Amino acid sequence: MTILWSILILGGLGLVFGIGLVLFGVLFHVEEDERIKEVEKMLPNYNCGACGYAGCHQMAENLVSGNEPMVSKCKPGKKDKNFDPIIAYLSSHPDKDGTVHVPK
Amino acid sequence: MNYLAAFVMAIISYALIDNVVLSRFYGICSFIGVGNKVKSSLCMGAAVSFVIVMAAAICYPLYNFLLVPAGVAYLDTIAAILVIACLVMVVGLVMKKFLPSLYQSLGIYLPLITTNCAVLGVVSENIASNLDFGMAMANAVGTSLGFTLVIFLYACIRVRLEASATPKAFKGIPIALVVASLMAMAFMGLQGIGV
Repeated sequence: MTILWSILILGGLGLVFGIGLVLFGVLFHVEEDERIKEVEKMLPNYNCGACGYAGCHQMAENLVSGNEPMVSKCKPGKKDKNFDPIIAYLSSHPDKDGTVHVPK
Repeated sequence: MNYLAAFVMAIISYALIDNVVLSRFYGICSFIGVGNKVKSSLCMGAAVSFVIVMAAAICYPLYNFLLVPAGVAYLDTIAAILVIACLVMVVGLVMKKFLPSLYQSLGIYLPLITTNCAVLGVVSENIASNLDFGMAMANAVGTSLGFTLVIFLYACIRVRLEASATPKAFKGIPIALVVASLMAMAFMGLQGIGV
């Protein structure tokens, strides 16, 4: 009985908070550069924070905006699996005003 | 009236005498990490205060009217963490929408409020000492006032510290830690208030 209750309560709480967060996410949606999403997909997505940013998303933001010139700050990333595709993607997708930020 | 007086006294006591950072040593991470600019320190204080007060307000009914009647009171910590994580996500979303520059300047310390032990400390203290709702809120409000006050004072000192000539080995974090310890000693003097 205890097991059932704990599963029900924690599951229910998770469900309620999850739905609440989805609603908040839709309500406070911020339009972002679509390249950020693509770069984030190419990072390892461990969200380990070893690069010094809060997670892979923030790292991707800074790579795209050119604030972060070193893609190799990503510790778990592999050169051929993560870094090379990101460099290739960012060199072929310039900013709106035409500048290309290619990380190393 | 008696209760109101007790409420105010509890706030003063939690904010000054049992200060969350300087005498209970909770929430040091964001204290050191963000306490170097006055503006971001105040915003960090506000964000942490919001999370502490809301977490205490949500966790009290959650514990007393859901976990205890169901006989699963041992789930208090994980339920509190769930509530706190959710609140931090909300703060992050709102801040990203309305204060993007602040969101950038707080950086990793904003999501790290999730693991700020001041927040979980308040919630589990409320549960452990069986406080009623009013006193639980006094604890939350007092703790968050104390946190904001101390991080603000600390930021003011550190801004002046950067302009002064510190020995090379002490530049940056080391001298900041020395300052924190001196502040902690200064706050010990407030224990004489005797509420």
